[in-house]
Amino acid sequence: MTVTADVTQAAVPGPLPVPDPDVAAFLYYEARLADEARYSEWEQLWDDDALYWVPMHPEDDPRTRLSYIYDNRNRIKSRVAQLNTGNRHAQTPPSVMRRVLGNMEVLAADEETVTVASNFVLVEYRHEQRTWAGRVVHTVRRTPAGLRLAGKTVHLVSAGGPVNTLAFLI
Amino acid sequence: MTTTETDRPAVEPPTPDAFDVASVVQDHRVHGSVYTSPEIFQRELDTIFRTGWVYVAHESEIAESGDYLTRRIGSEPVVVVHSKDGQIRVLLNRCSHRANRLCNADAGNANSFRCPYHGWTFSNDGSLTAVPMRDGYGTEFQKVRSQLGMAEAPRVDSYGGFVFASLAPEGISLAEHLGGAAKAIDRVLDLSPTGKIELRAGWMKHLHHANWKMVVENNVDGYHALFTHASVYDAIRPAKVSHIPAKVDVVVRDIGSGHSEIDYSAEYRKLDEEFVWYGRIPRAKLPDYVAALEDRHGPEKAHDALVVGPSHTLIWPNLFLAEMNVMYVEPIAPDETVAYTTAVLVPGQDKLNQRTLRRSEGAMGPAGFLIADDGEIGMRNQAGLAAHDPEWLELSRGVETDVIDETGVVNSDKSAETPQRGFYRQWASVVGQEIRA
Ligand code: FES
Ligand SMILES: [Fe+2]
Repeated sequence: MTVTADVTQAAVPGPLPVPDPDVAAFLYYEARLADEARYSEWEQLWDDDALYWVPMHPEDDPRTRLSYIYDNRNRIKSRVAQLNTGNRHAQTPPSVMRRVLGNMEVLAADEETVTVASNFVLVEYRHEQRTWAGRVVHTVRRTPAGLRLAGKTVHLVSAGGPVNTLAFLI
Repeated sequence: MTTTETDRPAVEPPTPDAFDVASVVQDHRVHGSVYTSPEIFQRELDTIFRTGWVYVAHESEIAESGDYLTRRIGSEPVVVVHSKDGQIRVLLNRCSHRANRLCNADAGNANSFRCPYHGWTFSNDGSLTAVPMRDGYGTEFQKVRSQLGMAEAPRVDSYGGFVFASLAPEGISLAEHLGGAAKAIDRVLDLSPTGKIELRAGWMKHLHHANWKMVVENNVDGYHALFTHASVYDAIRPAKVSHIPAKVDVVVRDIGSGHSEIDYSAEYRKLDEEFVWYGRIPRAKLPDYVAALEDRHGPEKAHDALVVGPSHTLIWPNLFLAEMNVMYVEPIAPDETVAYTTAVLVPGQDKLNQRTLRRSEGAMGPAGFLIADDGEIGMRNQAGLAAHDPEWLELSRGVETDVIDETGVVNSDKSAETPQRGFYRQWASVVGQEIRA
C-alpha cells in the first residue's frame, strides 16, 4: 500500500488509463469535503487500515524519516477531532479553499483496489491567498458498503520547504 | 572632515551606540519594537549571531568524511563540513572570487567545492586549490592567492554531538557559554544506551510569520498550554501531567546566559513512573531498548532516566531541546522565522525510533497538533503588535516568587515568566553591547 517514488516521477511507461467514473466521482467528493472543512464526513471516507501521508521527500522511508503527516486511522480520527473542537487555532476560522484535481491516471488496479495518481492545485485563502500544488496518490477500495479510501499520499511541490502551517486537510 | 565644494551636508557616520537597550528592555517588560523594528533586527544579527555561540548542526548529520550541510548563522549562509582531515569546519558559503554561493544543496558529500561561475575550486577544508587559466593573473594575485580560501567561522566546538559556531575570533568558550544548560543535553543523552543520539530523520522546515524571539520564548512558556493547546487535551488526550500549576511539581528555570527550561523532573520523580513523557507506555513495549539502557546505566539509573525523560530546554539563542525532538530557528526578517524540527533518534533502537517519529509528526511541524497552533498564535502576536498601545509586553508573572538556587532562578509555578525574564536579561546584555565598526 505504501506508494513509492516511481509514481510521483517518471518511470511509469506510456499513457495510462483514466479511472472509472465512480472512482473519479469519489475522488472529487473527497476533494470537496476537504475544501469545505466537512471534517467528519471526510473522516467517514476512510477504511480501517488507512494511511494519510505527506512526506518531506518522495523517496523517504517513513520507518527512518520524518514526514509532515503520517496518519493511521486512529491519528486521522484525532486530527478530525481536534479540528472539530473549533479551537484548532490554525484553522479557526477554517481556510477557504478550492482545489482542482486533474491528470488522473490509474497506476494499478485489481478487483478490490485501484490506485490513482493525480495532480492537484489548491488555492487557500486565510488572511491572504496561498497556492499549494502537488501529486496526490489515492488508493481506493471497493467494499460492499461502497468505495472507501485506504490511502492518500500527497507529494507537495513545496515539500522541500519552508512550508506554511498546514493544519487544514490537504 | 574633508572640505569639498559640494553643498551637501556633511554626513555624520551612524552612531550605533546611540542605541539604548534600557529603552526597550526594562525589569519585567519588553517594548514591542524588539519584535518589529528592522534596526533592532539588524542589531540582533550583528550582535547575537555574530559575536556569540550559535547552534549550527549535529555531528550525526555529517558523520562521514566529506559530508556537508548548508545552514545559516543569522543571515550568513555557511557550509558545515566534515573535512578530509577529520575536523568539522563552518565555512562561509561564498566563493572568494566574486561571491557566488558555492554549495547549493541542503546536504551532500564532496571532497571539494567547485564554483560554477569561473571554476575556482576549494578543498573541503576551505583552501583554494585550483584557479582555471591562472596565467591570466599577475604576480600581485599570486602573492595573495594563498589567503583566498573560503572564510571560516573562527570558533567551532561541540557538546554531546551538538555543534556550535561563533563568528567572533574571541569570546567565552562553548563550555562557559552552555554552563548549566549542558546538563539538559546530558539528560537527552542519558536516554541512549550508547550515550549518543542521531538527528538523521530529516528537518521539517516550518515558516512562522512571527519574530524569531516569539518562536523561541514560546517554547519555554509554561503558561499557554491550557489555552493554546486546549483542543488537543479536549479532543485527543489529556496532558501528560496537569497544566494547572498548583497541582504539579513542575518548575520553570532561568539557567542563566539566556538558557531556560520547563523542568518536569520533580513531578515525574514524585510519580515514579517510567515513560510518562512518552505516552505512558509500559516498558514491556520496548524490552530491547530498556535492556540496552540497563546495560549502560544499571537498573537504578536506567529507571531514573526513564522516569525523568528528556529535557524541555531552550539553549540561547536558537536551539530548543523539545523532549524527543530538536528544534532550531533561523531569523529571516523581523516578522518571519523558519523553525527546523526533527526527531531524536537513538542509535540501534528502530522500534523506539519509529514510535518517536510518529510522536514527532503528531506534535511538531506545520501540521503538528501542537506547533501548528503555536505558529498561528505567534502570527497573531505579531499582528497585535501593529497596535501601539500599550507599548510594552508584560513579563512579570511570578517575579515575587522567583527563587535563586545553584541551578539558576527557579519558580515552582510553571506558568511563571521566569524563562522569558532570563531570556531578555541575556538579550539586553548582548544586544546592548557596543558594536565594533
Ligand atoms: S565567482 Fe566563483 S569562480 Fe568566479
Ligand atoms: Fe505550545
